[in-house]
Amino acid sequence: MLRLENVSKIYPTSARPALDDVSVDVEAGEFVFLIGPSGSGKSTLLRLLLREETPTRGSVYVANWNVARLPNRKVPRLRQRMGCVFQDFRLLPNRSVADNVAFALEVTGKSDHTIRTVVPEMLELVDLTGKADRMPAELSGGEAQRVAIARALANRPLVLLADEPTGNLDPETSDDIMLLLDRINRAGTTVVMATHDRQIVDAMRRRVVELHLGRLARDDARGVYGARR
Amino acid sequence: MAFVWREALAGLRRNVTMSVAMMLTTAISLGMLGAGLLAVRTIDRTQDLYYSQLAVQVALDEPTSAGDPDCSSPVCTGLRTQLQGDPLVAGVTYESRDQAFQRFLRIYAGQSILQLVRPQSLPATLRVTLKDPTRGDALVAAYTDRPGVRNVVDQRRLVEDLFTFLGSVRNAAFGLASVQALAALLLISNTIQVSAFTRRTEVGIMRLVGATRWYTQVPFLIEAVITGVVGAVLATVGLVLGKLFFIDRLLAGRLISNAIPAVGMSDVLLFVAPLLLVIGAAIATATGYVTLRLYVRN
Repeated sequence: MLRLENVSKIYPTSARPALDDVSVDVEAGEFVFLIGPSGSGKSTLLRLLLREETPTRGSVYVANWNVARLPNRKVPRLRQRMGCVFQDFRLLPNRSVADNVAFALEVTGKSDHTIRTVVPEMLELVDLTGKADRMPAELSGGEAQRVAIARALANRPLVLLADEPTGNLDPETSDDIMLLLDRINRAGTTVVMATHDRQIVDAMRRRVVELHLGRLARDDARGVYGARR
Repeated sequence: MAFVWREALAGLRRNVTMSVAMMLTTAISLGMLGAGLLAVRTIDRTQDLYYSQLAVQVALDEPTSAGDPDCSSPVCTGLRTQLQGDPLVAGVTYESRDQAFQRFLRIYAGQSILQLVRPQSLPATLRVTLKDPTRGDALVAAYTDRPGVRNVVDQRRLVEDLFTFLGSVRNAAFGLASVQALAALLLISNTIQVSAFTRRTEVGIMRLVGATRWYTQVPFLIEAVITGVVGAVLATVGLVLGKLFFIDRLLAGRLISNAIPAVGMSDVLLFVAPLLLVIGAAIATATGYVTLRLYVRN
């Protein structure tokens, strides 16, 4: 599903590579934690998968796409098959919960009919049916992140990329989000989640890929956050 | 499609003052361009009107002019025959001294100069129309100082100064219009940049969920085109008002009404307005496209 082959990424403004000869292979349906301290290359890896960056060396594959070689005009097709959520939710503040979810469908050209059926489905999936008309400012952090997840899943992506999705949430709310992500993963969506949260990683006991200074430090099938530091 | 239109309108509303400034500047530059176009059309028509009536006047000297109502004297007949045989000449008509006097009476009816003029003061004339009105010089050179000829006047020379003047008025209008157009261009470009900047979060999210260039950029283009089209419509309204309340009154004056053909409403609505619409929309689209290419990452 996702494959990085000897990928290096060097930003022109930095002496040290952000990623240094990293190879990772993620099967369809897997749940992968991507861990490591700040600056270890987690975000760069996610950006490469989304083709927000191209690798300096090596190849990136998502499903059948050779991501680095993908012509610009096909990049939207790639991103339509990948959902992403972030630490800061990135909701549109002037649109309601339902409209935020509908937005992902509108800009990918889905029909009104599709939008009318998919949006309630997604809100039900994340358990926000009663809050369709709320504005983002009226939501708690956990609710906002669930809207973001609903939006990310609206186009039925092959992969859900989550960059520190619990970074702004308290532990209890984080657990709810993890339950939701787990449920989504069990329903068949591949999930890659970058995180700092030791407790979550230890509790879930899923595959752990650890990066350190841009290098692959560890890849355990059923890992814990680790003893380092 | 509905989505991009809604986005475009939202963009215009979000930035109302800028949008209005952009529309007005576009309207002014297009209006000046339109005025220039109308001026060109009017000047061309005036030129046609004049040149069709202009002739080279071969005025006969006193002895030849006297008592010859139909160009029957040998000198006059000789000149006429020779002129009619000239390859430059389209036609020759003879105006006798009495006919000239009658015309004089008509033109200056009621004015005191009439009391000073006798038929004897006026020469008989051979009015020569040319196949090519610009070739009057050749005729003037050939017939000046011939026996029986007092002088030869190319009427075209007399009005040339007027057309030179009108031509520079037209050029000035175009000059101002192009400076103004440049300002409109920069303003549109700047507004799109501002607009794109205020919507960068939205555009960022669009790109993440896989929106194509169509969805991320077309709203800005539509914004620009709406500006161009509204500008063109405002410019046309301005030109119509200008025609009704300024040009029409100016040209209705006794002196000018026969000298310059009227500017028709059809000139404004059928000739200039469509041109302005196309130019406005095209310039806005081109500016928008280039701006998005240069300044907005997709």
